[in-house]
Amino acid sequence: MRDFSYLRAGSVDAARQAAALPGAMLFAGGTTLIDLAKCGVAEPETLVDITHLEGLNGIELNERGATIGALAKTSHVADHAGIKSRFPAVSEALWQAASAQIRNMATIGGNLMQRTRCPYFRDPANFPACNKREPGSGCSAVGGVTRGHAVLGTSGACIAMYPGDLAVALVAFDAIVHLGDRQVSVDDFFLLPGTTPDREHAIEPGEMITAIEIPGSAAARRSTYLKIRDRQSYEFAAASAAVGIEFEADGRTIRDLRVALGGVATKPWRARAVEDALKGKVLEPDAVRAASLLAIEGAVDHGANHYKIELAPRVVARAILKMGETA
Amino acid sequence: MTKTTIPVHLDINGHHHELQLEPRVTLLDALRDRLGLTGTKKGCDHGQCGACTVHVDGERVLACLTLAAQVEGRTVTTIEGLAREGEPHPVQAAFLEQDAFQCGYCTPGQIMSAVACIREGHAGSDDEIREYMAGNLCRCGAYPHIVAAVRQAALEVAS
Amino acid sequence: MTVRNIRHGDASDGALAEVVGGRLSRVDGPAKITGAAKYAVEQQLEGLAYAVLVESTIASGKVRAIDTEEAQAAPGVLQVLTPDTIISLKPASDWFGTPPPDKPYCPLVRDITFSGQHVAAVVAETFEQAVAAAALLKVSYDETPAIVDLSDAKAGDGIPIDAMTKEWGDAQAAFASAPVRICAAYNTPREYQAPMEPHGLIARWEGDHLTVWEPSQWLDGMARTYAEWFGVPFENVRLVSPYIGGGFGSKALALSHGAVAASAAKMLGRPVRLVMTRPQTFTGYGGRAATRQTVTIGADRQGKIQSIVHRGVNETSVDGMWVEPLGSVTSIMYATPNFSSRQNVVRVNSVVPGAMRAPGENPSAFGIESAIDELAYEVGIDPLEIRLRNYAEQDPEAKKAWSTRQLREAFATGAERFGWSRRTPEPRSMRDGNQLIGWGVAAGTYPVRRAYGEAIVRILADGSVEVESSSIDMGQGTYTILVQTAAETVGVPADNVVVKLGDSRFPRAGVAGGSRLAGVMTGAVYKAATSALDQLIGLAISDPRSPFHALQANTLVVANGRISSPRGDGPDVSISELLKSVGRDHIEATGDTMPANSTPEDRYKNYTTIAMALPHTEGDYSRHSWCAHFIEVRVDEDFGTVRVSRVVSALDSGRLYNPKLAESQWKGGIIMGIGQALLEEGIVDRRHGRIVNNNLADYLVPTNADIPDIEVISVGIPDLHSSVLGGKGVGELAIVGVAPAIANAVFHATGKRVRDLPITLEKLI
Repeated sequence: MRDFSYLRAGSVDAARQAAALPGAMLFAGGTTLIDLAKCGVAEPETLVDITHLEGLNGIELNERGATIGALAKTSHVADHAGIKSRFPAVSEALWQAASAQIRNMATIGGNLMQRTRCPYFRDPANFPACNKREPGSGCSAVGGVTRGHAVLGTSGACIAMYPGDLAVALVAFDAIVHLGDRQVSVDDFFLLPGTTPDREHAIEPGEMITAIEIPGSAAARRSTYLKIRDRQSYEFAAASAAVGIEFEADGRTIRDLRVALGGVATKPWRARAVEDALKGKVLEPDAVRAASLLAIEGAVDHGANHYKIELAPRVVARAILKMGETA
Repeated sequence: MTKTTIPVHLDINGHHHELQLEPRVTLLDALRDRLGLTGTKKGCDHGQCGACTVHVDGERVLACLTLAAQVEGRTVTTIEGLAREGEPHPVQAAFLEQDAFQCGYCTPGQIMSAVACIREGHAGSDDEIREYMAGNLCRCGAYPHIVAAVRQAALEVAS
Repeated sequence: MTVRNIRHGDASDGALAEVVGGRLSRVDGPAKITGAAKYAVEQQLEGLAYAVLVESTIASGKVRAIDTEEAQAAPGVLQVLTPDTIISLKPASDWFGTPPPDKPYCPLVRDITFSGQHVAAVVAETFEQAVAAAALLKVSYDETPAIVDLSDAKAGDGIPIDAMTKEWGDAQAAFASAPVRICAAYNTPREYQAPMEPHGLIARWEGDHLTVWEPSQWLDGMARTYAEWFGVPFENVRLVSPYIGGGFGSKALALSHGAVAASAAKMLGRPVRLVMTRPQTFTGYGGRAATRQTVTIGADRQGKIQSIVHRGVNETSVDGMWVEPLGSVTSIMYATPNFSSRQNVVRVNSVVPGAMRAPGENPSAFGIESAIDELAYEVGIDPLEIRLRNYAEQDPEAKKAWSTRQLREAFATGAERFGWSRRTPEPRSMRDGNQLIGWGVAAGTYPVRRAYGEAIVRILADGSVEVESSSIDMGQGTYTILVQTAAETVGVPADNVVVKLGDSRFPRAGVAGGSRLAGVMTGAVYKAATSALDQLIGLAISDPRSPFHALQANTLVVANGRISSPRGDGPDVSISELLKSVGRDHIEATGDTMPANSTPEDRYKNYTTIAMALPHTEGDYSRHSWCAHFIEVRVDEDFGTVRVSRVVSALDSGRLYNPKLAESQWKGGIIMGIGQALLEEGIVDRRHGRIVNNNLADYLVPTNADIPDIEVISVGIPDLHSSVLGGKGVGELAIVGVAPAIANAVFHATGKRVRDLPITLEKLI
């Protein structure tokens, strides 16, 4: 790691001001930032430690939904009784992410700032070309080892996968990111790579995530997060799905459906085509499987990641059917 | 360009330590290289193995991704601080009894993780123990015995 | 020699934890569970400096220039080592003791033959400064095309290794005329030992004496290499390795990073610590070579094998030679009248591959144990039954009797415990919801490698016993079984025995590899302890000051630290009291298992090379450990994910010196085999010849959540042809056969035969 200064922020405003300075970065759980600093990817001049700020780690639930402070630890949110009962997909996405130790460090706000695990992005010494690190330098991943790369939302400049779990659940339930006074939907918070893969989040210098708001809904209450991977635990998703469902009074007809994908796209991927195809229909296995294929509309593979195109719709279908079984 | 070192006060295993450190020094390297507390192990230095697991304010975290400066004002417990008055913690005793290790290198991290796993209430079944101990890799393959040790210690702690 | 009090080594063995065969808990355990165990690089030394390696980013070519200016100027930097600035070393002999080539050795290179080769190093006052400065080095290259792997069009067929050729009968003709013929190709990828403790060392010079604290499976072998590199007498090099955080074959040899650190320490006049980063451990030494095998079997319609034709290839490096013996299980597992096995090695731009748990036997078993499963389905015979029909009653290759082979017992016991008879034969015939269930079986074996060892046993004034040996404990349990051996042989409680290992100043030992150390060292300690006991009893009988002197006994009994007459008459005194009465402060005896007429040169060669190891087929017998694995998998029919849900393995390692620890090692081998079967693969970027998943997040080893309960059953009996106390090998055996058992179970579950490891979901989806 290159040398840096360490500042401990005394207030949110002080943190924002410090973070606006050139070379300064906000620093919470450190599970991404210290890792990337050791890789030589992040080279901060100053780290602004916000983990000692008071009042930003609350988890509040009311009739409208949940508001989670940016500094709430992901483990605490995963184990929170209210989150487990009203947003099971959020809890499940969190406890299936990383490891128990990392979840005790990682904060909700920091989790949204998590960056890709693309091996080319993470190794500047061996792979100087990376548009995400150095705009215009090229992409080392294309033509390389792509088993873990995205099939949705890619561009000629970048095919790096968004590796997180929480945001997949959040995007399914229309969560909102609070940047102090400004609010952005989670879907809009994550940017497609396009020609500017270096820019991943709709956040400006001097802004700081202060909270996440998740609107409550019947679909969120009846939700799940299904994560498929090579290893049973402590691994990023090969493909995952956050699904929430609400039935009409008949218990069979789908009134509301939320579907989002992880492990296959360059950002948390809402699959509205699947939702639209099934809303108003009776939940029936063949229809669910057929509709789930819409989840990967427009997918483009790079050889070794082709399996994700096969896998993702099956994960979506299984998750929807599982939520139907509990009717 | 170099930044100056800063004073860092650490509370580790009930002892106060005053260090003068570069801000980039991790808690893991401070423990091992500055304080001689080498029970906390370095296996990957990137949060991928769990060998450096310690407790900060009673919760298990990875010392390799924690800056020493960051935990000033917090309470750090390492494997060296787990025993009480010479008596091994029930998890330590169970690891020995169940032969839950071979080379011993991942063991301090496993034990710190197991103590927290039980405290968190995540030792309710063998499958739950397996999942909540999955962040501690063991290449010798002591996993079934680690599960047995955590199960045994959880019962002892509860009783 | 005769062996006193030999126990049975079966269920009746080990009634007492403290004797050989007992379930004594690990004696090094208390240090390991409290964090008190100091591993090699954890020594706290005055004036320690920190070194960091810089590796090549190309796989083939030359270093054009290294710009060190910025790094030299970085804070805390003491030294920047490049091929131009590092001291020149002498070449060292290889592990067979072959005289080295007559040219200087430089551990930092200009001519690059693989990505990740060491080209420079930075030494600084702190670890952080060294890391930061190393990132400032600018290395430029002239790159040339690399041969990236076995599939590279430039790789060719490789070099035939005649020593691997095994032929009897007429295998080709017998295959051609066999009524049933199967032929398939089986591939295994690069796999890595990935011990949790990364490789590293501290080197310190005092004059022309070098001390190296380094995790080591072979102190005396590594000391020889350091001595040769630096041109100092062997006795001037001290290796210290009190605990080793896992090796699995990777920590047996002194490697180039060690030469860099020791050179830096010499040049700087300060102790230097160098620890590889986790990514560097993927290229700083070799993992298991990628392999390709074709296995053809000709059989009759009853499944009786008539011919096996086997061809194997493994990769090696551009300038090193590694042969992974791929025909080692193929040639002995089943009786066949006609056999042919040949092997080539292919040079690729990689670090020279190395030993990883059961080198040779492991991939060999994946081939033959998959192939016989394919034959079983071809002829419609149960996979267990076909193995029994082709049971080899003697070594088919050496044509010698087995010393012991409890494989039939392993099949029977394992099948019974697993419930194999309830298996339905058809693929895809067992399921639970979305999960297809499959049951597979495979056998494994590992040869008994024998060598020599020596030990000192001292009986001290306080009645305690001290054992010293330069052998090591990386988790196999050496400390513990040597306590048990000394305690039982002398007749003292285990608590009164201290075993000191891991220091090359102690009596010497060969490599802890090939599952040979336990057999070697229990034998040496047994002999030394017997000799010490004889001295003790001799003193008690003959010394005029002894309370037993008047008894005129022929012998005495030592038990539980006390000496008495066998008849129970006369005095009963503690060892400590006896030594006091005869005016001795200790008794010391050295024991070894070397032939009686061994010269000092023989001893040096024995302990510092592997040239004197005894062949497993020496004399009248063929000596091997054996096992049978029964494994259940659950395969998600939509996702292709495979999870191992049940394992029952029955194993014959002969007599177990400590079943508690042996069971742990067996389970560990099985778990590494699960990783090999389902997860582990070094993935090469074929444009750059570089392993891209060189870390523990991307090179997946099993987590706790991947591993079910595992039942291991000992079916061994003492094998005195294999070792002094009757044990055979433990550590390598259990991984052999796990991957094919899983592949066979996956076939049973899905009807898909996966012949390329690992069995990842895209191969089943």
